[in-house]
Amino acid sequence: MEDFWIEAIELTQSVIDGLLFGSTYALIGIGFTLIFGAMHKLNMTYAAASIAGAYVGLVVFVFFSAHPLLVFAVSSLASGLIGLLVYLICFRFIPVNNHLAALMATVGALFFIDEVIIHITNASPLAFPALFGAASFDLGAVWIRGDLLFVFAASVASTAALLYVLYRTRLGLATRAVSQQNVAAQLCGIDVHRTNATTFVVAGLLGGIAGAMTAASVGVLSPLLTLPITVKGLIVTVVGGLGSIPGAIIAGLMVGAAENVFLYLRGVNERDIYVLLLLFVFLVFRPNGIFGKSINRD
Amino acid sequence: MEFYFGLAQIIGIHVILGLSAYVLMLTGQLSLAQAGFFAIGAYSAGILTVLFQFHIVPALIIASLVAGLFAFLIGFPALRVRGLMLVVATIAFSEVVRLFFFNLSWRKTIDGIEAGPDSTNGFREIRFFAANGWEPYQVTLFVWLFVALVMFLIWWSDRARSGAVLRAVGEDELAAHSVGINITAVKVAAMTAGGMIAGIGGALYAHTATYVDHLTFTILLGTFAIAYPILGGLRSVFGTLLAVVLIQGVLVEGLRALGDWRNILFGVIIILTMNLKPGGLFDTQTVQALRKGLAFRDKGAPNA
Repeated sequence: MEDFWIEAIELTQSVIDGLLFGSTYALIGIGFTLIFGAMHKLNMTYAAASIAGAYVGLVVFVFFSAHPLLVFAVSSLASGLIGLLVYLICFRFIPVNNHLAALMATVGALFFIDEVIIHITNASPLAFPALFGAASFDLGAVWIRGDLLFVFAASVASTAALLYVLYRTRLGLATRAVSQQNVAAQLCGIDVHRTNATTFVVAGLLGGIAGAMTAASVGVLSPLLTLPITVKGLIVTVVGGLGSIPGAIIAGLMVGAAENVFLYLRGVNERDIYVLLLLFVFLVFRPNGIFGKSINRD
Repeated sequence: MEFYFGLAQIIGIHVILGLSAYVLMLTGQLSLAQAGFFAIGAYSAGILTVLFQFHIVPALIIASLVAGLFAFLIGFPALRVRGLMLVVATIAFSEVVRLFFFNLSWRKTIDGIEAGPDSTNGFREIRFFAANGWEPYQVTLFVWLFVALVMFLIWWSDRARSGAVLRAVGEDELAAHSVGINITAVKVAAMTAGGMIAGIGGALYAHTATYVDHLTFTILLGTFAIAYPILGGLRSVFGTLLAVVLIQGVLVEGLRALGDWRNILFGVIIILTMNLKPGGLFDTQTVQALRKGLAFRDKGAPNA
């Protein structure tokens, strides 16, 4: 009986840690969803750009020993700027109906960013600062890590800011108009290219925060992070439903929790197999995701 | 000389990999599962020749069929979704396959040595060519025999009715459906054919490299598989060949003097190509320019 309780407590602890860390997946998923909603295209560079933003933040930390909060802000801004560049070189001048070319260009940009990072850092992982790393909150049997709680709070705050921009400002109105009906938005005098560029910047700002948060909770920043985050972000986008922000949030927390539970139950080598199988279950039984509309299937 | 034979083998294997993605891309679908089928082919053929002492040819055929079977099975659930969803589903499939081989351990003692897949340490003992005394030029010829076969089959079926059906589905699913084409059957057939071709490529790869481990079959390999047809253009199989020679031959091997920088250059070249020639290097424009340049009289080629 005692074993059972220990097991149950450990499991709860895994779920809590997973939910808190899952908030970074949610942010990445929101970014993918935003860009997909605006352009109906996939931006494979997104997660790499987020990590690149975190690297720029790390430069500020290493050379000016800045406060972690400033590091996060710089990461976010840098990633937003990279987002704008990615839009310009991978989407702006490629014909709108050529999905393959745009996708391939973002893959090229992914290689480029990855290689530049590897070249500069010699592919060795670098320590990344965390806030409240030493703090922890005791809730009786389980406890909450301070750094993860901060990551969670920052994710919630940035999601709230995003929702405010999307639903309470003219910029958000334009973004939603373009994503719903491109041509009609143009007829209303909305500059589609500028709105799309803004969407990329906003998504990039979120991505930079997510990249910095991931690095802060893992403790190190490494180019090896880009591919797993890309995959997890895409899974979150699909499970949540394409173009759905609430879906991405719920799916992000779910994937984070599931990942940690499988890590606890089956070990690190098999963890990702089960997360990926979870995705297949969704694709077979609920191909439109949690909140996706059937029109958004393409 | 050995080096050039090795390079020719790599180019041949990557042409097969690129063509396996090419088939499904004709139907307008993008699959990143090719790395998974490639891995299934590599491991099955390796297991057959090492653990069961098969000859390479039957091992190749069986590996191709096994990879094709998985492509067929995965085709039904995966092709219910399209576009981005399919990309994600196929990434997931190929990662599951990679993680399966990452955890697979199947050791047997053959001729006094322990051999077989050894989970994280990889599968190290695939020495069929060396054990049977094949010269490098024979191995290269063997690889290119299959390259020629696959290229010919795709080129030929592209000119036949089957090619028209695939391209019709790729151009407009609704229109294709309304002239009586069974969309699901066409897509699953293309996926299966792609899986079989990737299986052959994987089997050849395992035997020329003599060593495979899960890190060979990451998403990166799947992206290379789709990069070749996109860069080369979907107009003809020769575009894929051209792209592989360009990327593997010129970039990866030819520019070794540049060291790390050539990888950065690789990304830049992809971005530039897609901006300047979104239809691929070997698109209709290029072909027409080539025809004019060579004063080549066009005698009613069907897809000119």
